[in-house]
Amino acid sequence: MTAWLVRRCAAAIAIVFAVVTLTFLLIHLAPGTPFVPSDERVLDPAVVDGLRRQFGLDRPLGVQYVRYVVALLHGDPGYSFSLRRPIGEVLATTVPNTLLLSGAALAIDFLLGAAIGLYQAARARHRADVVLGNATLFLYSVPTFWLGLVLVLVFGQHLAWFPVGGDRNPVLYPSLSLLGRLGDRAWHLALPALTLGLVGAGGTARFQRAALLEVAGQDFIRTARAKGLHERRIWLVHTLRNALLPLITLFGLALPFLLTGAVLIETVFSWPGMGKLAADAIFTRDYPVVTAAALLASVMVVLGSLVADVLYSVADPRIRLGKGGARA
Amino acid sequence: MRAPTKPPPPSLIGLAALVALTACTRPSTCRGDYCGTLVFAAAGQPDILLPPVSVQGLARDVYQQIFLKLADIGPSMNTLGDHDFQPQLSQRWEWETPTRLVFHLDPRARWQDGPPVTAADVAFTFQAYTDSQVHAESRPLLGGIVSVTARDSLTAVFAYRERYPEMFYAAVYHMYILPRHLLDTVPRPRWATAAFGRVPVGDGPYRFVSWTPGQSVELGADSTFFLGRPHIRRLIWQFVGDQQAAITQLVAGQGDALEFLGPLDNLRRVQQVPQLATYPYKSSAYGYMLFNVAAPLFSDRAVRRALVLALDRDRMNQSVWAGQAKVPPGPMPQLWSVWDPAIRSLPYDTAAAARLLAQRGWRAVGGGGSARTRGGQKLAFELLVPTTSAVRRQYARLIQAQLLTVGVDVKLVEIEPNVMQDRLAKGNFEAAILSYQADPSPTAGVTQHWGRGAPGNFGHYANPAFQRALEAAGHGANRPEEAARAWREAFSILNDDAPAAWLYAPNLVAAVHRRVADVQVRPDSWWALVRTWRIPADRLIDRDRVER
Repeated sequence: MTAWLVRRCAAAIAIVFAVVTLTFLLIHLAPGTPFVPSDERVLDPAVVDGLRRQFGLDRPLGVQYVRYVVALLHGDPGYSFSLRRPIGEVLATTVPNTLLLSGAALAIDFLLGAAIGLYQAARARHRADVVLGNATLFLYSVPTFWLGLVLVLVFGQHLAWFPVGGDRNPVLYPSLSLLGRLGDRAWHLALPALTLGLVGAGGTARFQRAALLEVAGQDFIRTARAKGLHERRIWLVHTLRNALLPLITLFGLALPFLLTGAVLIETVFSWPGMGKLAADAIFTRDYPVVTAAALLASVMVVLGSLVADVLYSVADPRIRLGKGGARA
Repeated sequence: MRAPTKPPPPSLIGLAALVALTACTRPSTCRGDYCGTLVFAAAGQPDILLPPVSVQGLARDVYQQIFLKLADIGPSMNTLGDHDFQPQLSQRWEWETPTRLVFHLDPRARWQDGPPVTAADVAFTFQAYTDSQVHAESRPLLGGIVSVTARDSLTAVFAYRERYPEMFYAAVYHMYILPRHLLDTVPRPRWATAAFGRVPVGDGPYRFVSWTPGQSVELGADSTFFLGRPHIRRLIWQFVGDQQAAITQLVAGQGDALEFLGPLDNLRRVQQVPQLATYPYKSSAYGYMLFNVAAPLFSDRAVRRALVLALDRDRMNQSVWAGQAKVPPGPMPQLWSVWDPAIRSLPYDTAAAARLLAQRGWRAVGGGGSARTRGGQKLAFELLVPTTSAVRRQYARLIQAQLLTVGVDVKLVEIEPNVMQDRLAKGNFEAAILSYQADPSPTAGVTQHWGRGAPGNFGHYANPAFQRALEAAGHGANRPEEAARAWREAFSILNDDAPAAWLYAPNLVAAVHRRVADVQVRPDSWWALVRTWRIPADRLIDRDRVER
């Protein structure tokens, strides 16, 4: 197990390093330049050149890369060109926001999706199964940004039940108690998390239903039923546990999906997270922020995959993590 | 027996709990004339709140509430002479000689951390703005000033190289006076990322309170401000994803002000909301189709003229702006005092356009006039347009349709603004639709875009006669009427050469919550006068009363 973990960690570091290198090179080679005003003004090229010099962009790309990697290894990812502050300071405010949103969305996605899938499988080919099947298919087919806009329009603008954007009420927040602040954050989180979570839950439910039905048709389930076990126990303990493996794979794969999905949703809901930060940074050619975002995303992906592998072994005792990776 | 009451659905219980939690706030106690919170919906976010090194317009909206200029431009937006300027940090000024300007600072002015504002701060500010290590955007505009010195603690002296009509404007419009005692220890090369720019201390009507990246900036009124306590207590810029999100925030009642509503659909959306008032103002922007004179097709002046003649720009403006824009008589916004519809310019005349093209050898083929060729080469060009501008994309399609009627094939290339900027700077384009947001000064604006070798002269336009007229208008003329005549001459030459087709100079519309009184939106700097706005006590809403 330890050797396996060491090998996986080494591979993960190599993957992250490759992603950072590729991102660094691609964003620097892309056409466009930092320090272009967002409004319709023309900046004197001498000013742009001066700023480029100041941020070290006048040096050859190889030199910039080596300096970047050395600084990164010393824990300094540099300064944001567009926000003019250390990347660490920028990430300290955006990463928790994205983790909050992704975490809430993941919870909705998997808890709701698994519950719906279980309910459908237990009532396979009944009317409830058909209705829920169509509903989940609809949710799964809906683009997240579209659903987000609809929710904003209905629940934000017309019904005014939820805020249309932001992660907190900038007027009230400073004057709220701790409990009030938590409530305010949850209130702002509701629509973006629901948007991401509902779309995910649509897919998860369909996946889970199929996995459960496949397990439900196997001999050991028939045996359990013949032994006179209660139907609830058969579904919740025997069937669900054996149908969890594909769900765990899905869970690992969902991490990067949520990060990419969050780019659009964070923009629609003006949620100040990593996705919006990265998208803005790409448009403004804020190289250090783009590279830092790629670094974080790749770390999340390899961590997600690692967590999924570990959960595999927990869910299925036949799987042992050892030489040659996960094996049955 | 009474039937048991059905419990409310869990979702409603949750919602009620959240509302209850959100109500856990300190009592809303502010009463009277000095309460009020304004939330500006801001599409974007500032870079740094240190005036010389910021390059983002939104940063200026914020820092102009924190820092003062020596004097500010008046409602007429006249940049010539000093008559229409209003005192700000300086109580008065006088011309000791034609090239020596003396400012007398207001002795009541204080930095928000206590010390008085002195002439040494003014001299320090000038040094900083003109220091090549600071990379101030307005540095080139200060080139006419030789020195700024402190005669005594309240007297600052500006010395100029020569007299010119906008010499006062040059001294005051772009320089926000900075606190020497807080900035002189910061090495100039580090100003671009200075911590001061994230927690600025100024001398203006508002103090910096907080800035959460990606979320909001908050300023609080300085109750001791020497020019009068601002009525509105808190100003908050809430950053949103884009303009549509900003409009939604406004319409949903979560924002109070937005400087520019954009396309007509947005205006209609806002006008349906009773609590929002709209404020039209002359825009400082204008849009045009630029020809790259260095490209083979557009090196021919007659072809450029023909294309301008073939465009019905009034009809385009009607279609895009529903009459809320005019065809500019040159590269100018409606804001500029030199706007004059009598300036000689090319009319809409498709017959003349067709004749000109035929004279230059571009013959119609296929009978229908739907294409023209010369020596087997089709009359066609690529037109760059940014993906992010709905207005310019509409113009691109209208131009494509209208030029097709005289046999010109326009290929639209929609690209990301940053890439477009890159291609413009490298001269890698044939034509592009640009929009420019100008300062109140025509001298800086026109020189920057049409002067020989100027940084914004992407089309490589050059004509010695125009250059002479431009210099006469900007520096040669000492009286306003001479300057106005020189400007007319310069624009007429430019229009004859047709380096671009001037498309639109719009009137824009801002939206502000109706509870706010005395709203004035300044065309060059929307929220510059916000310290004079107020919310009458009987119109305060809950968020106005919240104590921070």
